[in-house]
Amino acid sequence: MTTVSTWRWPTPDGWLPLPLVGGVLALLAGLWLTAPLVEVDFVRLFGSVGRMIDFAGQMFVTPDWSYVPQLLEKMLETIEMTVLGTAIAIAVSLPLGILAARNATPHAVVYRLTRDLLSLMRALPELVWALVFVSAVGLGPLPGVMALAFVTVGFMGKFFAESIEVVDPKAVEGVRAHGAGWLQVRLFAMLPQALPDFVGTVMYILDHNLRAAAILGLVGAGGIGYDLVMSMRLFQYERLLLIALAIYLVVTALDRASDQLRSRIIHGRRQ
Amino acid sequence: MSAISIQSISKRFPNGFEALKGIDTEIQSGSFTVVLGPSGAGKSTLLRLVNGLETPTTGEVRIGGDVVDGHKLRHIRSRVAMVFQQFNLVDRLSVVTNVLTGRLAQRSWVGSVFYLFRQEDMGIARDALSRVGLTDKAWSRADKLSGGQQQRVGIARALAQQPKVILADEPVASLDPVSSEEIMTLLREICDRDGITVVVNLHQVDLARRFADRIIGMNSGKIVFDGSPEQVTQSVLRTIYQREGIEDDNSLDMALAYA
Repeated sequence: MTTVSTWRWPTPDGWLPLPLVGGVLALLAGLWLTAPLVEVDFVRLFGSVGRMIDFAGQMFVTPDWSYVPQLLEKMLETIEMTVLGTAIAIAVSLPLGILAARNATPHAVVYRLTRDLLSLMRALPELVWALVFVSAVGLGPLPGVMALAFVTVGFMGKFFAESIEVVDPKAVEGVRAHGAGWLQVRLFAMLPQALPDFVGTVMYILDHNLRAAAILGLVGAGGIGYDLVMSMRLFQYERLLLIALAIYLVVTALDRASDQLRSRIIHGRRQ
Repeated sequence: MSAISIQSISKRFPNGFEALKGIDTEIQSGSFTVVLGPSGAGKSTLLRLVNGLETPTTGEVRIGGDVVDGHKLRHIRSRVAMVFQQFNLVDRLSVVTNVLTGRLAQRSWVGSVFYLFRQEDMGIARDALSRVGLTDKAWSRADKLSGGQQQRVGIARALAQQPKVILADEPVASLDPVSSEEIMTLLREICDRDGITVVVNLHQVDLARRFADRIIGMNSGKIVFDGSPEQVTQSVLRTIYQREGIEDDNSLDMALAYA
């Protein structure tokens, strides 16, 4: 027969640590008490199921095929904005990532300053930076690309720095011990080891940027966003359907490509 | 002429551990020296000090007359190659690129930014790889090789540097007996043929006896023996491997009976 005392946690006294249990209970209690602040209302949530189904039903319309040429053009513009913004961000993030990695930075002060700069850049979402750049350089895809590149550097620089921080220090020492210079150690020992992580980051950010670029049109910064919002506002579901489908297809294609590329870089070329 | 001169070196780590307590020794140019001692005796720290990977708390190390310190570190390292227990290769780079990193000390960062090397460096790297018998593996990725092969790449990287001194920190500790034999033979041959000074940290007493010109025994941060392999008797081994506070050490007797 199994009694309660048969079971124990792998701790010295067999019980979960009190701070952990207390912490989780306090968190749950806090969430329970504060939920009304954001108007979480289960009655309303379940009451709306009918309307949600109704809305979803309206998506089953005959697509507006005459819209396809404009869709392709806008989609191409969106992809171009994404790729260009990400490419610029990679070029800027690599050196910033080295400066912002604890084990690669030239000085602790540089590390701190770079980290702070990066968090400032990603403090506001793309849409807000796009508003800023639209005011600065006018309407069109250019402010969109600038906003994307700006926020992406904030994220990518941080991610790059963190992948550099976890590289195997033995290989770094191996290259350093042979008299390689400051930059050579970073280029030949740290970057090759961080490369698979870099590629993962870049692919995730491309994915994210495509979705971000898809709404920048909202503030006049180019891409599919303007059409997306207008068709939503004007209840043109026959266009909305096509736009959503196009974004989904591009994101999926990107995801497939990223899997292939990453496994190739981690395991090397198949022989 | 002495290649390496170690003068009253002591090393205390920030956590308070005193790894070396006053080491004085000279290592002759072109000699093959083995440093023996139990784990934690300070063998690795000593070798790392010679390459400037650690800085001494007191005392100084000279290589061919130059003091090893921050200023001329790159210049000194260009003459002192290091072989590691865990090989310390860059796994994702090809074997030949790993060997080429041995050339970086001679080249400025400008070409390195584009991963460019000179044709002559490529020649040196190929020669080094053929010395260690890995010409056919040149374009494999370093992490696809076996342990013994990776250590040979490590030695090729050291050779590509065209150094005066090769320091090997337990180069065979992660290898099987056959690979260990190969690696030691290779190091001995490099010492004899190229006149490169070799200093090896070892755990294996038999390898030390067979390959060394000179054996330095270390225990708790001090040199407790210094002499030729013939002078290493059972009582010398007892001194090198004795453990603090243990009088009749059965493990010690058992281990040394077969050494």
